[in-house]
Amino acid sequence: MTSMSAITQTSDLTNKAALIPLATERPAYYRMSGIEETSNVSSEFQEERSEVEVEEEIGYEDPFRYVFYRDRKEWADLEPVPQDDGPNPVVKIAYSDKFTDVYDYFRALLKNDEKSDRALLLTAEAIELNAANYTVWHYRRVLLQALEKDLREEMRYITAIIEDQPKNYQVWHHRRMVVEWLNDPSEELEFIAEILSQDAKNYHAWQHRQWVIKEYKLWDSELEYVEQLLEEDVRNNSAWNQRHYIISHTTGYSDPAILNREVQYSLKQIKKAPHNESVWNYLKGILQDLGLSSHPGLLEQILELKETHCSPYLLGFLVDIYEDFLENTLEHHEEVLSKALELCELLAREKDTIRREYWSYVGRSLQTKYGSSDSSTTTSAPGIDPGSASVHQETPCSS
Amino acid sequence: MKLHLVYFTVLTLNSKLFFFGSGPPKRPLMLTIVFFALSGLDVLDSLNVIDKPSLIEWVYSLQVIPTEDQSNLGRCGFRGSSHIGVPYSTSKGPGVSHPYDSGHVAMTYTGLACLVLLGDDLSRVNKEACLMGLKALQLEDGSFYAVPEGSENDMRFVYCAACICYMLDDWSGMDIKKAIDYIRGSMSYDNGIGQGAGLESHGGSTFCAVAALSLMGKLEEMFSQRELNRIRRWCMMRQQNGFQGRPNKPVDTCYSFWVGATLELLDVFQYTNFEKNRNYILSTQDRLVGGFAKWPDSHPDPLHAYFGICGLSLIGEANLRRVHPALNVSQRAFEYLQHLHRTWRGTCT
Repeated sequence: MTSMSAITQTSDLTNKAALIPLATERPAYYRMSGIEETSNVSSEFQEERSEVEVEEEIGYEDPFRYVFYRDRKEWADLEPVPQDDGPNPVVKIAYSDKFTDVYDYFRALLKNDEKSDRALLLTAEAIELNAANYTVWHYRRVLLQALEKDLREEMRYITAIIEDQPKNYQVWHHRRMVVEWLNDPSEELEFIAEILSQDAKNYHAWQHRQWVIKEYKLWDSELEYVEQLLEEDVRNNSAWNQRHYIISHTTGYSDPAILNREVQYSLKQIKKAPHNESVWNYLKGILQDLGLSSHPGLLEQILELKETHCSPYLLGFLVDIYEDFLENTLEHHEEVLSKALELCELLAREKDTIRREYWSYVGRSLQTKYGSSDSSTTTSAPGIDPGSASVHQETPCSS
Repeated sequence: MKLHLVYFTVLTLNSKLFFFGSGPPKRPLMLTIVFFALSGLDVLDSLNVIDKPSLIEWVYSLQVIPTEDQSNLGRCGFRGSSHIGVPYSTSKGPGVSHPYDSGHVAMTYTGLACLVLLGDDLSRVNKEACLMGLKALQLEDGSFYAVPEGSENDMRFVYCAACICYMLDDWSGMDIKKAIDYIRGSMSYDNGIGQGAGLESHGGSTFCAVAALSLMGKLEEMFSQRELNRIRRWCMMRQQNGFQGRPNKPVDTCYSFWVGATLELLDVFQYTNFEKNRNYILSTQDRLVGGFAKWPDSHPDPLHAYFGICGLSLIGEANLRRVHPALNVSQRAFEYLQHLHRTWRGTCT
């Protein structure tokens, strides 16, 4: 959300608070200059006066000025609790005065386990300053239940927060808790769709969506939603994943009609956009456990596509079909193996050169496993030794 | 390389760690940031700039230890920072009772890792309490919460749990079988591994799963050669120049480690294109302040700076220590840990 700068420094609030009893809220300033020590701040900021600051000095009054908790009468009963990093702190973070003030009072509330409306209000401020503080969220949930607050209002609240920070774990978890308490998922699909419309691959959004759908059995319209997303972007891997999720949890893939429908759908998408790893992964994924070589006509269809809609994924798929064939049949071994090796060579040499060494390795592995016994002495798939840091040599095949 | 030394070293000005902000600093995660800095310095062979004893004390001050009546055993571990306001105490004497004081699984993991990096012998770690705290976090499906109060649960915390058990040399902190079931159940139709069952396969969760199994010593036992080959293929396909985390997504420096280390654990990292990977990582350097970002011309942050260095270490970059691909610490630190284990088991020389 905020711009990412390499260096933070204390905002000039620290200085301002000392000069003027009623502090003004300002965003913390980030500068690319040198590192500032957190002490000796005051003198550094004398020159940095904005127009508004000068106005204040002249006596401009704002009745809605921000007031520190430590200056609020209604909080006078509470002793703020500072963070305690010992006599010689080794880790320092420069926080704004506002941040420190809010969190000093948060810590005080926490210590007493206070259950009050003022505590709830403070959690909102603490969250605004740092929405990733899981302790604040937990305390807020404790308060919501203890004070029997209106959870519909909380839904509105969390909706706004997620819109603002959709990649934060805590906010999604909080929403899930509120939905569970209300036992009402009716807003979820629409809300998540709205978030996905801004970032169609937001992992948190998809995770929440899968949870809602499974928990409340909202399967019915999801395939349609997935198809809509794939219309918009056929390369959206999250949508393809969702497609698999929905189908495997509803009809399943064991019905040949369904499987064939999905194969045809995939082939259609391949023809529209051949260079798309997601669709090829989907196609392979739904067929691999039954054996790629066992599908009548599949090899022929892929070989046909190879002429007009080739891609490294298509070629890799062919290698996998041939490997499955080699694993499950004894006939035509030499012929099939040679085709597979030819493809590995093509991939290495020309079609997927970034993985040149890998395709060579695949070829060698196939050769070792399925080649005739007088073939090369090159090694097979290496063993794995979890205890050592790294193995850079292949270990010899032990069969 | 010197510039990155600067980036991490500036974090340690006057032997104190200053936080390089990338937006509002996430105080409860402080320990993870410290881990990135320390481990980064270690890989750069520069831990000597650190005031180790002071940092060790600070890490120990984050341990949630059993109270006098031992009523908080299920909440023990390490905190990410002192943000709750518990009075400073360096793990000497019983714990202070506080209604909201609990460990966080990622902080327990990075806390222990920091102590190992700093050469501490873990003698002030209450191992039993940590393991009880860990056990309390495991769900029926085998995954873990981050905190006993509840949180999201996914593969990240399975990995943290595995690291904790591995470092403490004690797997009683988890039901291994359930954890393995969770891992296997999270394998996607496309042969990568997601954060949980049904979820999209992802470079980060794939690393967490494979590394956890590796630490358990179960990698080859729990996946057939065919499955391992499939995972290898999924991971290999992530390389575009650097590595991406999911199909059809942009590359990002940190995946050079997540996916790279996974490939290393599967013994096929040697077949990746080192040059393109290296060039990508280096293109994401910040030439002013050092460190790495996820993309070129973006702002660096401790996480990407650390994993950029680790990514380079995997390809054998000069002047970098080798990184243990499962435990995510330098090989030096790993060997020190093994030495510690030998002393505990009474088999030390």
